[in-house]
Order: sequence, then C-alpha cells, then structure tokens
Amino acid sequence: MLRAKAIKTIFLWDWELQYRRSSGWFVSLLFSAVVTFLTSLLIKNPTANTWLALMWMILIFSALQIASKAFSANDGQYYYINQLVNPLELLIGKSLSTSFSTLLISLLSFLLFYIWVGFPNISDHQTPLFPLLISISLGSVALSFTLSFTSAIASKVDGNTSLMSILSIPLLLPTLLVSLRASKLALLGQSIEQIYPIWIGELSLCGLSLALGAILFPYLWRS
Amino acid sequence: MKALKITGIILVAYSMYAGLTFDVPRLVILNETIRNLYFHVPMWFTMIALLGNSLIQSIRFLRSGQEGRKVNLSLDLKAKNFAEVAMLFSLLGLFTGMIWAKATWGTYWTSDPKLNGTAVTLLIYLAYFVLRSSIEDLEKKARLSSVYNVFAFVLMIVFIGILPRMTASLHPGNGGNPAFSNYDLDDGMRMVFYPAVFGWILIGWWISLIRHRLDILKKEK
Repeated sequence: MLRAKAIKTIFLWDWELQYRRSSGWFVSLLFSAVVTFLTSLLIKNPTANTWLALMWMILIFSALQIASKAFSANDGQYYYINQLVNPLELLIGKSLSTSFSTLLISLLSFLLFYIWVGFPNISDHQTPLFPLLISISLGSVALSFTLSFTSAIASKVDGNTSLMSILSIPLLLPTLLVSLRASKLALLGQSIEQIYPIWIGELSLCGLSLALGAILFPYLWRS
Repeated sequence: MKALKITGIILVAYSMYAGLTFDVPRLVILNETIRNLYFHVPMWFTMIALLGNSLIQSIRFLRSGQEGRKVNLSLDLKAKNFAEVAMLFSLLGLFTGMIWAKATWGTYWTSDPKLNGTAVTLLIYLAYFVLRSSIEDLEKKARLSSVYNVFAFVLMIVFIGILPRMTASLHPGNGGNPAFSNYDLDDGMRMVFYPAVFGWILIGWWISLIRHRLDILKKEK
C-alpha cells in the first residue's frame, strides 16, 4: 500500500539533506555552470543543431551528477529508512526529489546557457520561450526518472563509479531523441499544435520508466 | 535437444542452398542483393527471440525467490547465456547488413535509425555483462542483473520498435521502401525466408542451451 505521507517524508528528508550538505545539488549547479561557461568560450554563433546538442549534453551530465547521488547513504541510514517506509514509497519519494532537483538545475542551466551562449541565429523569426521551456522541463524530468532507477541499481554495487553512466546512457537514448525533437521544433518556432504530440511522448516515457521501476524496485531492494 | 538441433540444421542448410540458387525477383538497385533477406533478416528475428527468452528467464528468476522459497540461480545463468548468444546474432546481423549497405547505399555505416538501434542494443547488453562481472556475490549478481535485464529490454523495444517508425529511414520496410510486407514479398521468397527464420532461431536456441549446460557443469565441478 502506498502512503502519501511516507512519500512526502522521504521527499522532504532528501531535500533537507541536499540543502544542508554543500555537496548536494549545489555541486551539480556549479558543474553545469562551469561547463556552460567553457562552452560559451569555445563556441560562437552556433547553428540550431549544435546549440541543441551542446545544451542537451550539459543537461544529461548534470542530471547524471544529481541522480548518481540519489541513493547514496550508509547502511545504518537505510536500516532506519527501511523501518519507516516500504520500497515502493522509497523509490517514488527519491524519484520525485531527484526529478525536482534535475528540473531546477536544468532550468538554471538553460538560463546560464541563454545568457552566455545566447540563442542560435535563426534570422526570420523570434523564438517563443514558453514551448522551449516546457520541452526542456518534460525532457529533464523523463531523464531523471530513468536515471534514479539505474542509480538504485548502481548504488547496490560497491566501488564502481563509472558503472552508473555505462548502465544509464544507452537507456536514456529514447528519451533524449524525443526531447531533442520537441526542443528543436520549439526552437524553430513551431506552433504548440505541432509540438504537443511529442510532449505526450515525453510524458509517456516518464510514465514508462516510473511504472517499470515500481514493478522491479521491490525485487532490487530486498537484501 | 536433438530434434532442435537436427531440424535447425536441415532448415538452415535448405535456406542456404535455396537462398543462393533459387530465382529471385529482379529489382532496380537491389538486384542480387535481395538474397540478403535470407541471411540478414533471420539474424534479427533470432536476436529478438533469444533476448525475449532471456527476459522470461530473468522474470522467472525474480519470481523464484518469492514467499520464502529458495532462489533458482540457474535461471539467471540461462538468461545470461541467451543474452550472450543474442549478441552474437546481433553482430552477425550487423555485419551482413553492412555488406549489403556497401553494395546498395554505397557505405558501410550511416546514421540510420535501424543502425542506431543496433548500436544501442549492443551498448545496453554490454552494460548488462559489465554489471554482471562487477558483482562478486552470486545471489546479488543474479538479482541486480535480472532487474536490469527487464528494465533494459523494455526501453530497448521502445527504441528499436517504436522510434524508427517516427523518423525517415532508407532501410527496406521504412519510408515506402520495399520489404517483406504482404504485397511486396514474392511467394517464392516466402518459401525460403520463413524456413530460414525458423531454422536460425532453432540454431540460436540450441547454442544457448549448450552454453548453459556447460556453465552448469562448470559450477558443479
């Protein structure tokens, strides 16, 4: 049985930890800021394709940073958590908090990217901001749902830090391609009627990885 | 096991002989390379069949530990062996496809959705093997890799099954290019193609079972 209160507790607990430790989401923000600044020095006037590729690369790796820490706690802490909540509530709470931080970092990275690199030069029209923001937000939430599950797998394997990226990057490709297309259409100034089927695609990928995670997580978590 | 082996060998031998000698329709650009249908496409059918069985074994393994019963580690070993042989078939399918692509498209590799799907499938299952090799404890290894196998299989099917249909592709069967749908596969080709698919699946199954038996023997030793 799923208790909303338990999920909320996990969510808030995670946030409090993130906020108190400076190694929390601040590290990821700093990471994306450094990489964005570097990018802005290396490239001037990118084309639309290059712009999107660079931005999504930065978003993926910051999402990876955030998610890889999602399940890091010592045995004592988990012993305590497992007394309080069941595995499903733990997964949902953790996924929600991870996706929330990923969303925040993605939007901040986008802002920095916008300030330092600017929009690509598409002469004939003004890019509307709203559809682009929706595409990026949905995409990063979908990424973080897949990532939090692979992070749970990787956290069960000790002493292998690169395992997380090996396991998750191939699995991120469906989400990434769909998000890339949504944000490309948005960047080229297409109308919302043309973009929203792809938003539905992004949402269903969110739902797919959350549902799969919910089915599989109880098997993963018992030890 | 014996019936599996003999039927598989007969069907594959027939499809090789018939595939190289029987009449095929003459089509522009494709010409004689249409015969690749008998050798390239069965590889993918076999890969999906073997990966499907690997998935079933992983699910059976995860369910075997329920309600206080003892987990059955050999099911997970079976999942691993089927996935390994499936990767062999995926490589064979990739190579036969690349030779065909050189003859018709003029290049070994292009950024086509089908090719990208293959690359991603290989990466996903290589990650599965890496995950297996990085865990010492046998039961934990079986549990984590079964969970990953199920998760990865579904996302892989989304990637290779659904996304290519949303984008343009030069591959036969996509974007109005001829392939084996009802109206453009010749009846004579059908008589060779279906035995080839069936035969290769049996051969793949047989190789996987032999590997599995070897693994079990090694474990008992």
